Amino acid sequence: MSAETVDAMRELVTFLARSLVDDPDAVEVEVVEGDRAWVLELSVAEDDLGKVIGKEGRTARAIRTLLATMSARGRKRAVLDILE
Amino acid sequence: MDERKNEPQDGALFVTEAPAKDAARRKKADDQRGAPGDGKAEESAELLDEILDLMDLDVDVDIRDDDEKVVLDVTGPDAGRVIGKKGQTLDALQFLLNKILNRFPEGRRHIIVDSGDYRERHDRGLVTMAKREAKKAVSEGRVKTLQPMSARDRRVIHLALAKFEGVETLSQGQGTQRRIQIIPQRAGGRRR
Repeated sequence: MSAETVDAMRELVTFLARSLVDDPDAVEVEVVEGDRAWVLELSVAEDDLGKVIGKEGRTARAIRTLLATMSARGRKRAVLDILE
Repeated sequence: MDERKNEPQDGALFVTEAPAKDAARRKKADDQRGAPGDGKAEESAELLDEILDLMDLDVDVDIRDDDEKVVLDVTGPDAGRVIGKKGQTLDALQFLLNKILNRFPEGRRHIIVDSGDYRERHDRGLVTMAKREAKKAVSEGRVKTLQPMSARDRRVIHLALAKFEGVETLSQGQGTQRRIQIIPQRAGGRRR
């Protein structure tokens, strides 16, 4: 997976998180490169955590599904980490 | 949304709330619901287009229906990737779109994301499979447990088998592991 794809993923996660929360200014996504995967670290305002995770983690799972679609061709995966 | 409410079969088995209160709440939700032509269809098409663009997928988004529900149609070279394995990408997009656009109680509209006749074909496949399993349940006299499915897919099957002679259906398990059981009924119609 290329660095451009990771940038696009970061943009997507940022866009989705900002659309879901009450406090879009507090949304931040950091990209950390690991050996086997790129880690997208999402942080939001404390009160908005539930909005990006969702009931039974469904919202987080839906975002991860979209990331998986984007990384389908690459060798290195991307994982989404929601920081608490 | 409480997924049990989508399932008439389950509702009958697990009534958690007084019906009157439930009806009152439903009426309130109806009053606040948006209507065709309120701009929600255009708004949702634009949002989906933006997401698919960020995902670098080469597709077009059209509004197919703007009736009780908004139905969006995704077509183009990358439509297969938009659907994804077992439709899971399509479902993820639909889930997020509904989350984002129905955040507030006013003007809620259910948004469906489809690609060509994917959902119709998918439902037909579900019904064919469910009827086949129901026949087996009756002939073998054994309970048939299906694969875990979304609330929506389970609902399609519950409805399809509601009029199927000799079986009853219910859902078992929690969250993503919830599965339908097809239960053959004993002669006399009593279950267990």
